[in-house]
Amino acid sequence: GVILKQWYQRRVAITAGTSVMAATLKPYLNAVRTTLEAAMCLENFYSQRVERHNKPEVEIRSSKEVLFTPLEICRNEKEKVLIEGSINSLRMSIAIKQADDIEKILCHKFMRFMMMRAENFFILRRKPIEGYDISFLITNLHTEQMYKHKLVDFVMEFMTEIDKEISEMKLCLNGRGRISAVEFLKNFN
Amino acid sequence: MSINIQQQLFFEPISGHAFNADLTQLVVSDSSQNTKILKKDASGKYKEHKTLMQHIERVTSVDWAPKSNRIVTCGGDRNAYVWTYDEKSDEWKPGLVLLRINRAATYVRWSPKEDRFAVGSGARLLSVCYFDPENNWWISKHIKKPIRSTILCVDWHPNNYLLAVGSCDFKCRVFASALKELQDQPETSDWMPKLSKFGTLLAEFDSNSGWVHGVQFSLSGGLLGWVAHDCSVNVVNAANQAKVYTILTNILPYMSLLWLSDSSFVVAGHSNYPDVYNVDPSGQVKYGAKLDVKKSASTDDNLSARARFQKLDYQGTDEAGTQLDTIHLNAVTELRAVSRAPDNTVTAFSSTGKDGKLVIWDIKALCKSIASLKI
Repeated sequence: GVILKQWYQRRVAITAGTSVMAATLKPYLNAVRTTLEAAMCLENFYSQRVERHNKPEVEIRSSKEVLFTPLEICRNEKEKVLIEGSINSLRMSIAIKQADDIEKILCHKFMRFMMMRAENFFILRRKPIEGYDISFLITNLHTEQMYKHKLVDFVMEFMTEIDKEISEMKLCLNGRGRISAVEFLKNFN
Repeated sequence: MSINIQQQLFFEPISGHAFNADLTQLVVSDSSQNTKILKKDASGKYKEHKTLMQHIERVTSVDWAPKSNRIVTCGGDRNAYVWTYDEKSDEWKPGLVLLRINRAATYVRWSPKEDRFAVGSGARLLSVCYFDPENNWWISKHIKKPIRSTILCVDWHPNNYLLAVGSCDFKCRVFASALKELQDQPETSDWMPKLSKFGTLLAEFDSNSGWVHGVQFSLSGGLLGWVAHDCSVNVVNAANQAKVYTILTNILPYMSLLWLSDSSFVVAGHSNYPDVYNVDPSGQVKYGAKLDVKKSASTDDNLSARARFQKLDYQGTDEAGTQLDTIHLNAVTELRAVSRAPDNTVTAFSSTGKDGKLVIWDIKALCKSIASLKI
C-alpha cells in the first residue's frame, strides 16, 4: 500500500516534469550554474613546467597557483557536483541519484555509452573522476570555438534531464518485465 | 560620430592587436602562428594586407611602435621578432631577438621612447630587450627575482625606465629598469625614491589570490591600476603605496585596463562589455558607467507556436536559453588607445576579444549618450 503510493507519487511527479524534492532543486541548480559561469573564464596558457606544451592545467595539476580550490555542491549525500577549475580548463563531475540496483545498472550503462563516444561529444571526459558517474572537461579551446553561455546552458540541461531519462528507462524496463512475466506465466495456468 | 564601429575580423580569438601611427593599418594576431597586417580600405573597414610568418606556435602578443614604425611579436615558441618595414620591397622583414627564455612568451610592449621593449614569459622572468648595432640583433636583460609564476601583463611608465608587471603568483610589481647601455639618466620619483640598478623591486602589491590580468600606469605615471581574476579593480598612488584602493565587482573578472585620463579608466573582460571607473587624485576608485548599453528594447522572449515546435524538434527544448545582449559575444581580452587629444587623454579606444571582433568606441559620443559617464 505504502510502496504503491510512493510509486504513484513518483509517476505523477515525473509526468508533471517536477521532482518530488522540488524545494532543494532550484537553489542547487542556481549554485551549480553560477559556479560554472565563474569557472568557465578560461584563457590560453602555455605550460610553465614543460616547454612548448599547452595542456589542460586541471588534468596536469603541475602548478598549484593556476588551479582553483575544487568546489563540491551537494544536494544530498547521493547527488552532488564537483567543479575543479584552473586557468585554462575546468572539470565538472556529476554524481547521479541512483536509488536502487536497477537505476545503478541503467546509469552505469547509459554513462558508459556516452563516454565511449566522448570524441564526438567534445566536452566529455572518457573516464569519470573517482566517486562520480560522469565528468566533463572543458578547455579554453572549447570556450573559444563555442559560446560560453550555451555551454553552461547545455551542462545544466544535461544535469536536469539525466534524472528524468533514467527514471523513464526504469519505468519502461519495469513495464516490459511485467508484460513478459505475465506472458510466460500464462503457460502454467 | 557613432558610438562604436564594429568589424568581425576573424571567427577566431584575437590574442593581440595594435594600430600604426595614423590608424591606416592594424596588426592583429589570431590564434594561429601567423600575424596579419590589415589595411583600412575606402569604406573604413580593415582588410587583410600582409601576413607575417615566422613563428611556429601561437602568437600571444603584438605591439606596434608608431613613431619608429616597427612591430614586435612574441609567441608560444619562446621567440620574439622585431619587424621593420622595407620601403623598396614593400615587405616587413623580421629581426632576430635573443630572448633567452625556455618557456612561452606571453606579452610584449614597446617602451614610450621605442628604444626597447619588455617581454613577459612563462619562464617566470621579464626580458627587457634593446638593439645591439654591432651584431644587428636585439639582446635582452632579465628580471627574475622575485617573480614566481607566468607573467600575464606588463606596462611601461611614461619615463621609459620603470616597469609594472602582473603575474600568476597574484602579485603586481614595479621594477626599476634603467639601462646603462642605453645611456639612461633616471631621476628619483615617488616610485623610485633612490636611484636603483636594473631589476630592483620597487613595489609589490598583493591581489588576494587573483591572477593579475591587466596593469597600467596612469597618463602621468603617478597612479597604477590593475585588474585581477578575483573580480577586483585596484588603484594605488605612488605617493602613498601603503593604501591600495580596491573595488570587488559582482560580475565576471576583467582582463584588460586602459587609462582614459588621469581620473578615469576603462576595463573589460569576461563579461563581454567595457566599464568605466572614476578615480580621484588620491587614488580612490568609484564605479562610473557601463559602456555597452543597448538603445532598442530587448528582443521578445516569447517564441511563436511554430518556432517553439521547431526548436523542440531541433534542440530538444522549447526554452529560449541564455541570450547575450552585448556587442562582444565572448570575453574582451585587450583594450588599446586609438586616438588621443593634445593633452594625451584618450578620445577613442578599441577592444578585441575571443569572438574575433574589433570594436572602436568613441568617447565623446559615449559621453553624450550615457548620462552617468564622466571622463
